[in-house]
Amino acid sequence: MPNSESSAILVTGVGVTSAIGCGKAGFIDALLKGHGNFSVMKRPGRQSGDTRFLGAEIPSFEVPDIVPRTLVRTASLSGQVALTTLHEAWNDARLGEVDPTRVGLVVGGSNIQQRELTLAHETYRGRLPFLRPTYGLSFMDSDVCGMCTEVFGIRGLAYTLGGASASGQLAVIHAIQAVDSGQVDVCIALGALMDLSYWECQGFRALGAMGSDVFANEPERACRPFDMRRDGFIFGECSGAVVVERASTASRRATEPYARVAGWAVQMDANRNPNPSFDGEVSVLLKALAKADLAPAAIDYINPHGTGSSLGDTTELKAIEHCGLKHAYINATKSLVGHGLSAAGAVEMVATLLQMRARRLHPMRNLDEPMDETFNWARQPVDHAIQRAVKMSLGFSGINTAVCVERL
Amino acid sequence: MNSQEIFAIVTRHAQEVVPGLENHQFEPTQSLKDLGANSIDRSEIVMMTLDSLSLNIPLVETVKATNIGELVNLLHAKL
Repeated sequence: MPNSESSAILVTGVGVTSAIGCGKAGFIDALLKGHGNFSVMKRPGRQSGDTRFLGAEIPSFEVPDIVPRTLVRTASLSGQVALTTLHEAWNDARLGEVDPTRVGLVVGGSNIQQRELTLAHETYRGRLPFLRPTYGLSFMDSDVCGMCTEVFGIRGLAYTLGGASASGQLAVIHAIQAVDSGQVDVCIALGALMDLSYWECQGFRALGAMGSDVFANEPERACRPFDMRRDGFIFGECSGAVVVERASTASRRATEPYARVAGWAVQMDANRNPNPSFDGEVSVLLKALAKADLAPAAIDYINPHGTGSSLGDTTELKAIEHCGLKHAYINATKSLVGHGLSAAGAVEMVATLLQMRARRLHPMRNLDEPMDETFNWARQPVDHAIQRAVKMSLGFSGINTAVCVERL
Repeated sequence: MNSQEIFAIVTRHAQEVVPGLENHQFEPTQSLKDLGANSIDRSEIVMMTLDSLSLNIPLVETVKATNIGELVNLLHAKL
């Protein structure tokens, strides 16, 4: 049964920070122009010895003035980007007008500050007694919750959750459920920036998950979801925030809702390993569609997980085809932004909503030779007013998630 | 190192940790707390000072100091 009008769950605010654009206006502009920003990574703690790990790093961003400078000094990169991204979503949804005890925050991501920890360990190795006291606060991911709730006065609920590369979308689903259950009136889902150190980069490379051998000397060509010459994901720093609430509370403020949340689902594969599962992906897609009470034919846009992993992309296309969704337009936001890991699901939900509002789909980079030409690829920017979209987000250890959103 | 030099190190780190002290005229009778440092800020300032002085003493030994002058004297006596 579709929700009645006042109980419908809407998205009323978004925020985004990425390597190709910060803020929703800059982000959608960069997406529609097909921008990328891939190179050999330069941030301290990203390389060791002769490594040349590829990725997309945020060139610069401005922490808003509302954040006390003393907090900025001790905030990790993930924390600073979270505060900046949340600030945009907060203002977008006019959350200053909501009772703070009825506002919640779910931060998607675990072990998100690895590079900062590596740098601290290197700085204080052999000098342990001089370790800064704030390390005792900041090493926990929940420090991001502490900083965000303090700065924005959030008193409803706040926690971090981990779902590997599906963390961002899992946070969106938890935020939806927190509103659906009446725990809070408004809930913000934030996909936190996963700050990899060279240790995690090496681990992902050793697993065969992260590229690129083929394009080691051509970073701008390395990130190529669904292309025949893909050889793994390419990391991209980013963070996204999505505000969800019922239409009945949104209508009390001058909000401009982006979409209605129609359906959602989570499905585990009972599998510790990184490999994808056709059955799990089919199941989660069908469950989300069923909850939305939508036939596959009603979906006209898919934002896939689409990392550029060899088996992952193959499995996902099979699942999409099996579910009768092959007709829908599809593009891979990761081809432009890179893989934000913990942030990916939230950032790509923001990309979906902004494309819906822009009535235009972003192109894909490096889709020179699609794995399957018969899918409805948005290889170039195309005018398309998305009516109903499904966003897939998957992760290691057998997690599958899907969320359907519908134009209002 | 003399007390004046230690005083300069403490105040430099206080300026790094607490916003708005860039042009502050520090006096030994002022306390870090009154200058806007909370307990975590204070422990950061003291730890940064210990690091600068390569002085390895437990933080707890510095809590008796009630103002910057007393902190400086306490640290000077440990050098």
